[in-house]
Formats: sequence, C-alpha cells, structure tokens
Amino acid sequence: MKLIKYLLIVAYVGVLVSCSASAPPKELNNARQAYQQASMGQAAKLVPAELHKAQVALAVAEQSFKDDPDSYKTKDLAYVADRKSKMAEGLAHSAAEKAATEKANNDFQATQTEILKDTKEDLAASEKDAMLKAEKLASEKKARLDAEAALAKLAAVKEEERGLVITLSGSVLFASDKSVLLPAAQDRLNQVSEALLAAKERKLTVEGHTDSQGTSNYNQQLSLDRANAVRSYIISRGYPSDLIYAQGIGEDRPVADNNSAEGRANNRRVEIVIDRTGK
Amino acid sequence: MKHIKKAMLAVLVLFAAAFAGCGGSPEAINQEASTSAIRAAQEVGASEVPSASLYLQLAEEELEKAKVLAANGNKEQAESMLLRAQADAELAIILSHGDADKTEATAALERVKTLRQDNN
Repeated sequence: MKLIKYLLIVAYVGVLVSCSASAPPKELNNARQAYQQASMGQAAKLVPAELHKAQVALAVAEQSFKDDPDSYKTKDLAYVADRKSKMAEGLAHSAAEKAATEKANNDFQATQTEILKDTKEDLAASEKDAMLKAEKLASEKKARLDAEAALAKLAAVKEEERGLVITLSGSVLFASDKSVLLPAAQDRLNQVSEALLAAKERKLTVEGHTDSQGTSNYNQQLSLDRANAVRSYIISRGYPSDLIYAQGIGEDRPVADNNSAEGRANNRRVEIVIDRTGK
Repeated sequence: MKHIKKAMLAVLVLFAAAFAGCGGSPEAINQEASTSAIRAAQEVGASEVPSASLYLQLAEEELEKAKVLAANGNKEQAESMLLRAQADAELAIILSHGDADKTEATAALERVKTLRQDNN
C-alpha cells in the first residue's frame, strides 16, 4: 500500500516537473507577440529584410527552447528576438515618416512652383494693364492737345485757373442786338465743335458777355440767350448735353474799355470754358 | 635530485594555476560590439528621447551585469548577456532616429500648410 502511494506521488511530481519545464519563458512569449505585431504592421512592406532578421532570431530562440527550455541562453536569445522585432517595427515607422517628409517636401516644391507661376502671370497681367492704361492716358492727352491746337487756330485760347478758355467774338456769331447765330458763325462753330468733340469727356461752360450799352437786365438776358444758342448748336453737333452749361454774364466782366468802339467790340463775346477736372 | 625538485616545482605551479582558475578569476569577454552600440545610442541623444531612454538604460545595466558575470567566471553567460545589451542599445538608436524622422516629417507638413495658408 505504501509503495503504491509512493509511486503515485512520484508520478504526480513527475507530471508537474515536465509541465513546468515545457512552459515557455516570458522572454519567448514576449518575442512571439512582438514578432506577430511587427509582421502585421508596416514592417513587411517597408522593411522586409529587418522583419526577416527578427523571424530568424525568433526561430533560433524557439530551437533553443526545444533543446534547452530553461537555460539562460534560451531566455537571452528570446530577449534578443523580441528586440529585433521591435527594431523592425521602429525602422518601419522611420521609413513611413521619411516617405511623409519626402512627399511633403515635394508638395512644398510643387506649391512654390505654382505660386511662382501665378505670381509671374499676375505680374505680367498687371504690367499689361498698366501699359494699356498708360497708352490710353497718352492717347487722351494727345487728343486733348490736338483739340487745343485746333481750337487755337479757330479762336483765342488761353489757359486760366477755371480751365481752358476759348473766346469767340460776338460780332462773328450774332447780329447786333440778336441772339440768333449768323450763317457764317455756324461754320466757325462747326470747327470749334469738332475740336471739342475730340475731348468730349470735359465739362463745358458757355458764357455770354455784352458791352455796357443798354440796361444791365437787358444785357444779362441777351448774354444768356446767346450762350444758350451756342450751347444748343454744340449739342446739335454731338456734344453730350449733360456736360455743357450756359451762363449769362451780361456786362459784368468786360475785358476792354466800354468807352471805345473797339473796346465794346471786344467785350461782346462768347467764352467756352473747358473744365480741366473732367466730368 | 635536481630534476625531481624542478618537476615538483612545475607541478606546484600548475596546481596553483588550476586553483586560481577554479576560484572564479575574471575572464576576458568581448564587449566591443555592445559598448560601441551603447556609445552610439548615447551620441544620438537616446537618453533625451522618451521612447528610447528606457532601452539605453537597460543596455547599460546589462553591460554591467555581463561584467559581473565575467568577473565571476561565467564567460558564456556574460557573452549572452552582452547580446541583450547590444540589442537594447541598437533599439535605442533606431527609436531615437525614428523620433527625429517624425519631428522632421511634422515640420515638413507644417511648412507646406503655412505656405498654402499664406498664399490663399
């Protein structure tokens, strides 16, 4: 009986000993887990050679476990295999980060090139726009100068603070005491209108002036009627009506002595003032 | 007689040498690979990188353990321990480089983002 009990105890202990001997050390468990994690991540794609090294290291550790399960050698080889898998994973992360850096640098370069191209195009467009504006301004200036030169040939033209003043003699335009344009006056006004139309964006003021003969009120009305007659005629030649005004000054602004016939003739006049400031 | 004395002296020397060996005298181990790896990890600044510093520390401790094992005459176990030290140091280097790579990638992405924002 004692012998049977003894044999059972020996068998039980034997089973326990054999079970504990075959259990892998924690280093090997860690190594297996680390390799599994690495092989399921980016390592297989990005650093296959490093993953292979980890696999080989794990195989060596597994073989050592089979040969000598409890040895320090098995534990150390498993420990190293665990680190090899972690290295493969770390190198895979690095490779992914490097790829991201390269892509970002390429994007940076491409974006810079695109910005440079856009800037050049914008600059070229601005330069073209500026050139067109300069050409337009030059053209407008030339038209104005040509118009002024043409006007200078037709009538007295002088530069004053209020603008360019074209003076037409009253005796050329109207019969004495009348506000109807003479036929000869129409030819002259045709030429003046033509010159004015070359720069028709300017505001015009047509002023009628008389000598001091007659009453002031009468002269005021006569000068206004004459200014209106000239205004209507210029409008009929194509000048925009909203840019031309008529004003009767009467005898209030003589340019010569009203006591002489020559002076009075000079005072009877129509002045067309071209505003310098435009519309 | 002289010959006998010489032979006895030689036997004594041999015994003394054998005795000294059995007493666990330090055995030479090749620590070059692990020492170099640890130095390299220190040079790349592994101690300043959170993910790498632990492995550098482990490597340094394992090197010391290997020295103690060698000093106690356990040469094979010491050399095996050196493999651990080398593996930990190499891992510390890789993780340090990985940290630098990540920083560089983040900076590169930020540069692109800033450039695009500034030109919109």
